[in-house]
Amino acid sequence: MQTATGTLSKRRRIFWLVPLIALALPLLTNPYTQFIANAMLIYTLVTLGFSVVIGNLGQLAFANTAFFGIGAYASAIASTSLGLPWLATIPIAGLAGALGGFLASAAALRGIRLYYLAIVTLAFGELMRWFYTHAGALTGGTDGLPVPRGRDFGLALSSGTVQFYVFLAITCLLVAGTVNLLRSRIGRAIIAVRENEIATASLGIPTSQIIVTAFMWSGFIVGIAGAMFALHTGRVFPESFGLTQLIVNFAMVLVGGLGSVVGAVLGAVALTALPEYVRAFPGMEEIFFGVIVMVVLLVMPKGLASLLARFSPIFQQRYHRD
Amino acid sequence: MFLQLTLSGVSQGAIYALIALSLTVVYRSTTIVSFGHGDFVMAGAFLTYVLVVAIGVAFLPASLVAIAVMFLIGVAFSRGLVRPIRGGPHIGLALMSISFGFMLRGIARTVWGREVLPMPRVFDIEPIFIGSVVITGDALFIISIVAVLLVVFFTVLHFTDVGKMVQAVYQSERGARLIGINVERFHNFSWGVGAALGAVAGVLIAPISLLHPDLGASFLIKGFAAMTLGGFGSLAGAVLGGLLLGVAEQYAGAYIDTTLIDITAYLLIIAVLLIRPRGLFGRKVVVKV
Repeated sequence: MQTATGTLSKRRRIFWLVPLIALALPLLTNPYTQFIANAMLIYTLVTLGFSVVIGNLGQLAFANTAFFGIGAYASAIASTSLGLPWLATIPIAGLAGALGGFLASAAALRGIRLYYLAIVTLAFGELMRWFYTHAGALTGGTDGLPVPRGRDFGLALSSGTVQFYVFLAITCLLVAGTVNLLRSRIGRAIIAVRENEIATASLGIPTSQIIVTAFMWSGFIVGIAGAMFALHTGRVFPESFGLTQLIVNFAMVLVGGLGSVVGAVLGAVALTALPEYVRAFPGMEEIFFGVIVMVVLLVMPKGLASLLARFSPIFQQRYHRD
Repeated sequence: MFLQLTLSGVSQGAIYALIALSLTVVYRSTTIVSFGHGDFVMAGAFLTYVLVVAIGVAFLPASLVAIAVMFLIGVAFSRGLVRPIRGGPHIGLALMSISFGFMLRGIARTVWGREVLPMPRVFDIEPIFIGSVVITGDALFIISIVAVLLVVFFTVLHFTDVGKMVQAVYQSERGARLIGINVERFHNFSWGVGAALGAVAGVLIAPISLLHPDLGASFLIKGFAAMTLGGFGSLAGAVLGGLLLGVAEQYAGAYIDTTLIDITAYLLIIAVLLIRPRGLFGRKVVVKV
């Protein structure tokens, strides 16, 4: 058994080919597909962060767009007001996102779970959006906040290709970080809380703190994705972090497979590319994402990752009960 | 001033109460929180709008048709989309309601476009003056409709056989099953009633506010705030919570800052869950571990 899992995890090293192949991608594509590829990397992180909370931890959360917005605004504010280069705003965005994760889930420390937690996080997200709109001096209000691309450490961050490589490096680091976190004691506790909170608590594990920790990690990586989004779009608006964004994220997590790291990548890649074609008509995007989520829930509740797992055991979700 | 604010608060709060009640009906009978319920409200308003403006039906029949259609949509949603995944995790059920609501919103948008359109005024009730307090026709209309509806609702629930059956299922689904109540059909019916009650709220706001496909989201949060304040799962609490929220918004807007009206509901949710998670009437919600 030991050897079997040993070879399996050795065979999983094949996943490192994915970023290697991706390295060559910008050489082949035009600026538009480049833009989409960058968005895919951003959404990979967003989806992964979301998936940790709703998939691995098993709590309903709506604060994901809040973390995304907090990261984007933290990065934009740090670069406009403090004059920091974009790369230096990354840790700030991550920490701001983690703080957001703490605030959104603080009610968990009071014993609030599932639906109640969902409602608190929903309120938190809408509260943040209200703040972006009304704290005009800091956030530019409805006009949004520009993200200067001039200041960086000798990197031409205005170029889509350079952005792609930087994003790829960040995404790989955070994906690897998440995989490691999920393997660690904390990660196993996160999954234990989902499976049976009372049993987990009876082992002396502080389940409320575990929930907050998972939210903070989610906030951290989604916050960094927000900073990437700010650079990618060049201007941050309150409207980018609303409920439409949220359902898109839900769809990505579900299509990929709840709680699966491979699934997060797949969901983000699949659904960033597709909707470009439905965006032309008002309302089509909503119908598209709504129907996608419904169909996936009915037909394929474990997502694309579970389809892949049928082909090869290397795609099996190690952190998910079947 | 104070009385005037209270009055507009109650009229606004009556709508929140209705939404919170519709959410509670679904939650109490199916243990599902319908995160797409705001869009049921929007769809009710939207259907009324389409019937009145595009087809030219009179307001009253149009609103009755809209409410009936929403009842059927609620039943269809329960039968077709909720039942197949009922055994699964709650996240799936919540996502199902969100995505269904999202689809409704998309349909409204394909018909409506991006514009925000006011509906022609339907009732010309003369405002009533009591001293310095003005009761507008709209407020009078809303408050009286909601009051009648609530009286009928609670009378049916507490004093009829159907109501006793409903209460039995609320108390114990298994017990209800044992005495021969068709719980499946009851769930479908509850979704229908929930959707129809939400639609009534939509019909009531249609003539007095600007309509757009996104209005559901804010009403959903108002409904949640009302439910949380009143006590999650308590029918009377939902109504009281809605009225209190409406009044609180008016006070916050007038005495502190007008922009606070938009976020009173969020602040209320966070404050209640931090201070008294069970709300005013709810049972204890905290998971003891």
